[in-house]
Amino acid sequence: MRARQAAAVTEPSARRGGWRDLRRLLLYTVKRLLALFVTVLVGVYLTILIANMGGQVDELRRVQIRSEAAEAVRADPAFQDMPAEERNALIERQVALEVERLRLDEPFLVRSVDYLQQALRLDLGRAEQMHSDRGSRDVYDIIVERLPATLLLFGTANLLVFFVSVFVALFLSRRYGSALDRSVVALAPTSAAPGWFYGIFLILVFAFVAPLLPAGGMVAVPPPEDGWAYGASVVRHMLLPVAAMFLSQIFISIYSWRTFFLIHSSEDYVEMARAKGLPSQLIERRYILRPTLSPIVTSFLLMLIGLWSGAIILEQVFNWPGLGSLLFQAIGYRDTPVIIGGVVIFAYLLAATVFLLDILYALLDPRVRLEGGQR
Amino acid sequence: MRRLLFLGATLILAGVVAVALRQPAPSTAPAMGQESATAELRSRRGALVDQVVFTREDEPGRVTGLIEAGTHQVFTQGISNPGIFRRLRDSLATGYDLSYGTSSELTLNPAGPELADGTLNPFHVPAIREALNRLVDRDYIAQELYGGLAEPRFLPLSTAFPDYARLAAVARELELRYAHDPDAAREAIHREMAALGARLREGVWHYENEPVRLIVLIRTEDQRRQVGDYAANLLQELGFVVERRYRTAEEASRIWIATDPRAGRWHLYTGGWISIVIQRDQAEVFSFYYTPRGRAEPLWQAYEPAPEFDELADRLQRRDYRNWEERQAMMARALELAMQDSSRIWLVDQLNASARAADVEVAVDLAGGLAGSALWPYTLRYADRVGGRMVFGTPGLLTEPWNPVSGSNWIFDQMIMRATQDPVALPDPFTGLYRPQRIERAAVTVQEDVTIGRTLDWLSVSTAEEIVVPEAAWIDWDGEAGRFVSVGEAHDAPVTARTRVRVRYDEELFAQRWHDGSPLSLADFVLPWILAFERADEASRLYDPAYLPTFEVFQRHFRGWHIVSRDPLVIEVYSDQIFPDAETLVANRAPAPQPWHALALGIFAERQGELAFSSNKADRRRVDWMSLVAGPSVPILARHLARARERTASPFPGVFDELLEEDEIAARYRALADWHAQRGHFWIGNGPFLLDSVHPVAGSLVLERFRDFPDPADKWLGFARPAIPELDLDGPLVTALGTTDEGDAATFRLAVTLEGEPYPPAAIDRVQFLLFDGRGTLVERGAAEPRDDGHWRIAPSPAALAGLGVGANRLEVAVTSHRVALPAFASHVFATVPPGGTEASP
Repeated sequence: MRARQAAAVTEPSARRGGWRDLRRLLLYTVKRLLALFVTVLVGVYLTILIANMGGQVDELRRVQIRSEAAEAVRADPAFQDMPAEERNALIERQVALEVERLRLDEPFLVRSVDYLQQALRLDLGRAEQMHSDRGSRDVYDIIVERLPATLLLFGTANLLVFFVSVFVALFLSRRYGSALDRSVVALAPTSAAPGWFYGIFLILVFAFVAPLLPAGGMVAVPPPEDGWAYGASVVRHMLLPVAAMFLSQIFISIYSWRTFFLIHSSEDYVEMARAKGLPSQLIERRYILRPTLSPIVTSFLLMLIGLWSGAIILEQVFNWPGLGSLLFQAIGYRDTPVIIGGVVIFAYLLAATVFLLDILYALLDPRVRLEGGQR
Repeated sequence: MRRLLFLGATLILAGVVAVALRQPAPSTAPAMGQESATAELRSRRGALVDQVVFTREDEPGRVTGLIEAGTHQVFTQGISNPGIFRRLRDSLATGYDLSYGTSSELTLNPAGPELADGTLNPFHVPAIREALNRLVDRDYIAQELYGGLAEPRFLPLSTAFPDYARLAAVARELELRYAHDPDAAREAIHREMAALGARLREGVWHYENEPVRLIVLIRTEDQRRQVGDYAANLLQELGFVVERRYRTAEEASRIWIATDPRAGRWHLYTGGWISIVIQRDQAEVFSFYYTPRGRAEPLWQAYEPAPEFDELADRLQRRDYRNWEERQAMMARALELAMQDSSRIWLVDQLNASARAADVEVAVDLAGGLAGSALWPYTLRYADRVGGRMVFGTPGLLTEPWNPVSGSNWIFDQMIMRATQDPVALPDPFTGLYRPQRIERAAVTVQEDVTIGRTLDWLSVSTAEEIVVPEAAWIDWDGEAGRFVSVGEAHDAPVTARTRVRVRYDEELFAQRWHDGSPLSLADFVLPWILAFERADEASRLYDPAYLPTFEVFQRHFRGWHIVSRDPLVIEVYSDQIFPDAETLVANRAPAPQPWHALALGIFAERQGELAFSSNKADRRRVDWMSLVAGPSVPILARHLARARERTASPFPGVFDELLEEDEIAARYRALADWHAQRGHFWIGNGPFLLDSVHPVAGSLVLERFRDFPDPADKWLGFARPAIPELDLDGPLVTALGTTDEGDAATFRLAVTLEGEPYPPAAIDRVQFLLFDGRGTLVERGAAEPRDDGHWRIAPSPAALAGLGVGANRLEVAVTSHRVALPAFASHVFATVPPGGTEASP
């Protein structure tokens, strides 16, 4: 009877505890989402302000539009014998049309709010100057068209770097002080040079001195019609840029992970496991990898969303039609919608990843609990 | 398990490397080159290569390496960097062609003498500006700063364009007058600064007790950075306090174009100008560069040209002269006045090298380089064989959507489009003169007061007191009724025009085919005209406000067009617009065909509000800018094609019913549908190459030789290389005053050759000489006399020789050719001694 009473008392209290947890979880989620939303909002608006230099780009554009119109009219023999007044009037009309098209006749503040609203609604809108390679002016098309190339190249390289470095690091953490370990430590500073730097040397050696591989591009020209031949051609074109990225990142990445694993390998519970004579694979898997899973997953996810931005110079060096070179062009054209489009997607991806990580942490690491939870 | 995993990973990696390193299979494209044979060349029609592949490549530094590696044969982007050029020049695997068109100058702030903040602007004074011409060493700039990739330039005329050649003697005289003389420049500047009230204290100019400070705005993207530093150094040495501001084009334009010069935010700017076509008439340059009429911006409004110069510049721009001689005299005087004004100090004409493999030949435009060449598709070939494939590297490809009405006008897109089109007249890449391609002959009639010149014999020029436009000629378009409006309907009184151009097209014109196999028809000539009017008609669904200003200018001089005969096609066009060259007038007036059936799809799509021909309209309507080659436009156009086929629809039924039978319309759409099914796009033309495939994201595009092209492949081969005369001037080094009979020491010999062979005398326009005495004064100007085998004799008059006095003299020779706009110069220095002095000399 007492036991039943105790159970009856525990049940509502457990239910109350569950509700309380859920309420906390909801509150936490709302707070996090709100914080992330504000972060995205601020980030995107800052991008709009920076991309337009606080509205000063308007002035640049006006000068540019006027110069282009003047030169176009002057270069056309059909307008050459026009009286100067008429010619200048014609230029003025052309300028007015372009100013109206770009909405430069509206205050920048108004436009910046429009940009922000559209961005937050994920309505990427239309580019002002650029087109997709296929000829569409929608920012969505412009970005999506370049996305596969970036994902393919940077995905391959980064996944390769990530997994190779984690596993090699784990391997080295067991062989601390070995010749291989010392070699990796010695080579780590080579990662100070960026991928494009290695790229230039690789191109020089493998495309010009010993012309085994193409110097750039994503596929042969003209692209092979057969699917297999096309795939082989893409792999062939990827080899040098992937190698460049791999070389520039691998040693520092191994070094970082190795140091990270070494720190965790000297934890008391790992020492205890060793003292108990557990097999090294089990120690690695259960005592080193599992507790360090959170930072590994964080690093992995951030690496994945990092693919979004591509690498501007590397893509330029290898003539790779990815998002990096797209962003480079967009900055050159000062095409605000494209710049904002690229940034807003990145911001949303980053926010979603951070949010996901918060949840994942709780799942992966039992020590992580919501505020007020039991420790 | 681990070992297995490791083994598997290794195998995969090895597989990837093996696949990657495997050389690609030989191209399925036509076999690379065949042995050259004259007979084969003669029997071949159209292009001299089978396939041209364009691929994106925008890094000039890799050009030589890629040609040497054999992956690319031609590059469309000109090379102007001296270091890259040296590498290109020194490679055995590469060749190059030079083009002009880019010029560099110092733009001076003319406001003042006191600026808004009370500081002194010395460049307000024309004499100081003029003195800068002597201060700068243009040879140093060309040879050292531009690494030899530039030619010194003193005048507002490009040294590679016909006006410079026509005025070569005047130009040479001015060039010598303003030759590098820093002492004279310093003296003039010191004098004028003192006159302004400035004082030189401890080597620094002071005005109102403050140092005279000059802001030099230096462009950073190219050699102008070094030029800016050089100019700044010179000014510093003269005693000015110089502030250097390094800016990109965009940053600098906000300052030098957008601000009022009186605000004094700059004093000197390293300017540059580009021309991508040979300008045969540069008479407008004076108005543009030196007067407020040039542009509406504050800088131009600050110009205060001398009244005589202003009037001359205005008249030259309006082409207000009675005859050619008067024009030349006005130009000569305007050049002199331009140097006195010197709002701009011209420095060099920059050279751009178009890179190609050593075994490739192609006609490169003297101004526009390869990308600006109209003849490249007709002349491109391997020197030692016919056929084969070439890969072009180009910095831009499909930069904007392609459509024939208002599509991409990027130079590199236009270059590719040109290969697919066959204009009715083509400009000579070395003179800019148009030559007929689909025109048999043309007759130009102008009013008696019009000055116009003719150089070539494929057209005639005559004058008439009055040119009356026939009543039946079309002058307008009634969009509502869907028909042309004749002159008789539009005007009660007779309409007159200043020019009439009668063009008779080739007999075989309508036997020519579009790339989809359809034969050309009159409708291909008529539809573009209808569209020109429809797009300016507010009531039309094709109305485009962005097009209206251009159309209004056209309408101001357009007086009608009239189809005199349908087969052979003879069309008369009446207009009030004048060009100094009759060839240019015909080329600009002669209607050109466009495939009406491809245009019709665009018209249908624009009417439905799904696509727009122009960028501006596309943005206003928030639809896609029409592309006939790729992207979201293509399925829309395909849908309209299917619908048009079902209904055998023509875009303007009223007019088209008269021009086309129903089965002709059906056949056209069928051919286009087959073309689209095979190639996936709607870009068709009638040029020597057809657009075979487009790969927008991969950044490549393939052109195939059009096998049904009607012309022999060698038709334009004579224009593959510029025939620049090579001069060898020889004569006595010492001559005695008074020895002036023929055959004695006072005559000079000039050999004019081309690649070692005598230059054909008929191709020589003029050989002029200028004789200067020891003080640099022009003593005589005259013409050389032709002799045999490309030799010319120059014999200054006895009076002129006698007037030289004792001392060192200089004979300058300028040779101009009908074949190339670029004049050639030679000079010879000789000494004159007293009579009998030669015997005493060692």
